[in-house]
Amino acid sequence: MGMASMSSGTESLRLCVFDLRRGQHEGQELDKILFFYPPDLTFSTQLSVIGLSEGLITFTRLFSPEAACEVIEAERHSHVFYEAEPDIWMVMIVEKNKEIEAVWRIDALRRVLKEVHSLFVMFQGSIRALLEKEPTGGLVRSHLYPFITDYLNDLFVGKKQQLPSFRDTLKERGTVQMLTLARDAALEVQSLVGVLDSCAGTVRCHSVILFHDLLVSTTLSPDDTVDLFAFSVMRLTTNALSSGTSSWSYLRKGSGSPQISSRSTTVPPLGSGGTLPSGNGSSTGRVIRPLQHDKWSKGKDGFLVTDIWGLDATPTILIQKTQESFYLLTYQYKSLTLVLLVPIAAIVNGELDISFVKQQVIENASTKILKVEEKLSKGWGGENAYHVSGYRYLLVDNDMEVSRASPPGKVATLAKESLLALNKLREEVDTEKNRSKQEKDMEICIRAKNNTWVIARLNRGKELYMALEKASETLLDATDSVQRFSNRYCSGAFPMD
Amino acid sequence: MNSSAQAGVGSGALSHVYIHHPSLRCNIPESNGLFYDDANRLLICTTSSQVFSWETSPFNPDVPPSVDSISEGPILSIRFSLDKKAIAVQRSDCEIQLFNRETKQILNHKCKAGSESILGFFWSDSPLCDLAIVKTSGMDLFACDSMLNSLRLVETKKANVNWYIYTHETRLVLLASGLQCKTFNGFQLSTAGVVRLPRFEMTMARSESNSKPILSAGDLHLVTVYGRIYCLQVDREAMLLHLYRFYRDAVVQQGSLPIYSSKLSVNVVDNLLLVHQIDAKVVIIYDLFVDSRAPVSAPLPLLWRGYQVSETSSQAVNKEIESSESSTSNENIVMYEDGWTFLVPDLILDQTNKVLWKIHLDLEAISASSSDRTSLLEFLQRRKLEANKAKQLCLGIARAIILERRPATQVTQAIDVLVTAYSYSVKAGTYKEIKNENATASTPTPGASPDSERHRQSGSNIDEEVEMNLSSGSQENMFCADEQQESQLSSPAISPDELYKFVFTSVEEMMVEESEYLVAIITEFLRSISAEKLKVDLNIYVMTIKLLAYSKRFAELSLFTTNKIIEPSKEVAFQLLDSGRQNIRVRKLGLDMLRQLSLHHDYISSLVQDGYYLEALRYAQKHKVTSVRSSMFLEAAFASNDMQHLAAILRVLSELIPGFKETSEYYTFYGLLNDTSSSVAV
Repeated sequence: MGMASMSSGTESLRLCVFDLRRGQHEGQELDKILFFYPPDLTFSTQLSVIGLSEGLITFTRLFSPEAACEVIEAERHSHVFYEAEPDIWMVMIVEKNKEIEAVWRIDALRRVLKEVHSLFVMFQGSIRALLEKEPTGGLVRSHLYPFITDYLNDLFVGKKQQLPSFRDTLKERGTVQMLTLARDAALEVQSLVGVLDSCAGTVRCHSVILFHDLLVSTTLSPDDTVDLFAFSVMRLTTNALSSGTSSWSYLRKGSGSPQISSRSTTVPPLGSGGTLPSGNGSSTGRVIRPLQHDKWSKGKDGFLVTDIWGLDATPTILIQKTQESFYLLTYQYKSLTLVLLVPIAAIVNGELDISFVKQQVIENASTKILKVEEKLSKGWGGENAYHVSGYRYLLVDNDMEVSRASPPGKVATLAKESLLALNKLREEVDTEKNRSKQEKDMEICIRAKNNTWVIARLNRGKELYMALEKASETLLDATDSVQRFSNRYCSGAFPMD
Repeated sequence: MNSSAQAGVGSGALSHVYIHHPSLRCNIPESNGLFYDDANRLLICTTSSQVFSWETSPFNPDVPPSVDSISEGPILSIRFSLDKKAIAVQRSDCEIQLFNRETKQILNHKCKAGSESILGFFWSDSPLCDLAIVKTSGMDLFACDSMLNSLRLVETKKANVNWYIYTHETRLVLLASGLQCKTFNGFQLSTAGVVRLPRFEMTMARSESNSKPILSAGDLHLVTVYGRIYCLQVDREAMLLHLYRFYRDAVVQQGSLPIYSSKLSVNVVDNLLLVHQIDAKVVIIYDLFVDSRAPVSAPLPLLWRGYQVSETSSQAVNKEIESSESSTSNENIVMYEDGWTFLVPDLILDQTNKVLWKIHLDLEAISASSSDRTSLLEFLQRRKLEANKAKQLCLGIARAIILERRPATQVTQAIDVLVTAYSYSVKAGTYKEIKNENATASTPTPGASPDSERHRQSGSNIDEEVEMNLSSGSQENMFCADEQQESQLSSPAISPDELYKFVFTSVEEMMVEESEYLVAIITEFLRSISAEKLKVDLNIYVMTIKLLAYSKRFAELSLFTTNKIIEPSKEVAFQLLDSGRQNIRVRKLGLDMLRQLSLHHDYISSLVQDGYYLEALRYAQKHKVTSVRSSMFLEAAFASNDMQHLAAILRVLSELIPGFKETSEYYTFYGLLNDTSSSVAV
């Protein structure tokens, strides 16, 4: 349709962030562009992409004011829309090509946009706030560009881009993976949480505890936990700190592409009327890049150190639930990672001192940390801890924003046809979910061309996806298998008949 | 029993140890001697031809004496046999007479005059012998026949003996020899036979004025503490009290305690060592259970407390006694008088005034003077006399440290002490809850009490008495099983349910604003009882949910529930549903719990309440729940004003229930459905 006007780019990914409230007058169109990737495309190309998106948003709002445009499926590209903040949109354009396994599920791509934005807000605050702080847009552009670029670097494996494809269909980005604890271990962990809280006196702190790349405990809301969990797994846990990649982590990590690295040193000129960010140097300030690779290391006292926020500066984050800012202190002992959040207000008011809190952790919590680590290590089942023989599954709890899945190594044993069928099934489920605002109960069983059963069951906020390659011939046998799995591993949460 | 203490002499004085009025009076006209038989716990007063004896255990000041007649003659020492059928009297340093109380026969035993002297004697419950006579040449062990007609020499232990000490509680006799009397041969005569202890020597400091001090019998005290046998030795030159612990095969010095008086005496009350510094007129309490040799509390005088009002049946007798004793006490009570003799374990005999006191601990005073809560709780949990008072004090301390918002680590230690003590007492079998407050005295187990005591039905003012089981006293027993004389608390241990009931529910009402702190304390409590594999009242989980919901910590509430820190139960599920009104996630946790617990009816009702009509119907059908009426579904769907739901349920019910279409319910709701549709059409 309208794609003829768009030149065929050498890149298979385009990502842009724009503000519908800006650039509404002729000659000021560039104002609305806050971020564009790849950065070396011409302004006319950028405006062409954003203009199309804006037009579609405006048009679809006529019919659905609350939920405007979500996706454009063209012949060779998919356009994924995400309204990050009111009137601030993120659009991702990906190429569709079966030969190179570029088969997507739209919701998975949208979750990439959602994650980028959530992490950005956690570290920098909302885009709208940055725009209000410096209306020319230079400030927000100088923050968005390195942040999103650093994030996209994680999606490169070698020189090949690795967005979540059909091979990641048994994963759910934006959810937390939890460690299952025995009761006595859980009590010990909860005791440690109490000790950590008391390390700051009467000031209310928060803590998130991880073991390997799994969550053990959190005092944050589910939304904030998801963000901090994602960041911890990307940058803070022992797996993240080690230089080698780990197949356990659901985020593929690799060295940054030399191509991207060379470009990141050049900030393209942006802005209309010749106004440049350098012209507002005093208000721009220093740009913090929390997603930089290889910037964290373990100090001799067990706390992680970084100079991302400046030499001897303490990292800070913003909790969305309470809109409160916290200092981020990360302590590590073997595979146990403790993230402690201390309110900045308490430090500023003189109620607390960062070094005092650290000292308290080392003095009061060390014994408890040793005990917890020992208990968790003893019960640790390894990478394949949550493998269920004969099943390839993904279990999602949307209320708790928690998921559990078969280990990636096990999922890789599935045939391509099975994964494609499951991916398509998930697309159907996504479509059905979007039709209705309230929770949908449904069950779908599909037999793939290679005789694999792919099954989805949804029940009051819980979702179970499964691929059974060696199932018996009949539908009844397949559903019986799923029912047995549900009864045994989901405490009968999917009682379909 | 109603009682209130009125302080007489020494009113308002500080003390941790006290004696109180009335005492046991043993004033007999023309008496020529006062003796104490520690084996039978008898206070004995003799005249020229009569023997008066009072039971001192249990201690009852009003107990009348038993009276026996004996022939005239000098009395150096006197002891009843363990079965109380005979009285043995030492007449001289070479003659002992045995009086059969039933047949009135008299048996004389003499030793060789001139070559040896009798130092003393004691009765034994060893299977080997019944009577032991200590002489300057050693110790003779005798067996008596059943009719007490003769003494048969069983064995002789040869030794040069200057003096000896023996206590029945320890079954231990120490024979002193050597120029300084500090070399000892020891024997234990117990139900296991006669065991020879290794020969050992006591240390004594020397000074210029006294390079060879001589140890006397009065400087040694044999005591039993927590089932362990100790010998305490007064070293006047060094001003130290040395502790020796006796094992079957060794005598080990256990350190020393400083003393502040050249005149010293020792008592043991409830396994606590009371060291009376007589010159200084103070008593120091030591708890030998802990390694520390620091006193339990600062030295304070022994306190005499005045008349304790109590109910007695005889008003006239009471008045007479009261006026008489009041007159006496006003004139003569002087603490640490020269005529005082301290009897092991817990008695004071005032030879001048012919009265016997029992020593008491004031647990409240000790608690009030201790600042270390953890060690104080450990101390109180070891008390067995006044176990109920110790228990109440522990509960009060637990409440106080939480209400005072002490650091969580401090509260954790306190909770660990209480939970560990309870867990131990359950395993040891000493923890028994009060079932009947009016329980009468129980019969002791024969095996548990080698020296059977006469148990009397007694009135008020009974002081609880606990005797240690010493059948294996020489072996290391951390605790001894207690013989229980009444069905009262025998242990101050506190069960988790009691901690919940008397501590957490109390502090919760006052600390709702401090719910985070309280949840941390409860978590430590749950961790402690989980480590000891104990169970607790389910209501503590309901309380935890309320506290977490109050402070809106719903994420943690989910973790608590998912990890089963909060154990599933019906009450917990309903509390989750209730707290879930403000958080849908929590409500779903409650629903899931109902299903996991197979509480079908409640699960279905809750599903319907939340609008999941079809799922509720399917669940009812699958699990064959017949207690739920089909009209419940129809009424709920109708109330939701969603005709689609109503129509769907009508259709499903028609399929599931044969003949449903002929029921009045069907016609009623089908009519409602049609009426509503019709009105919409109009």
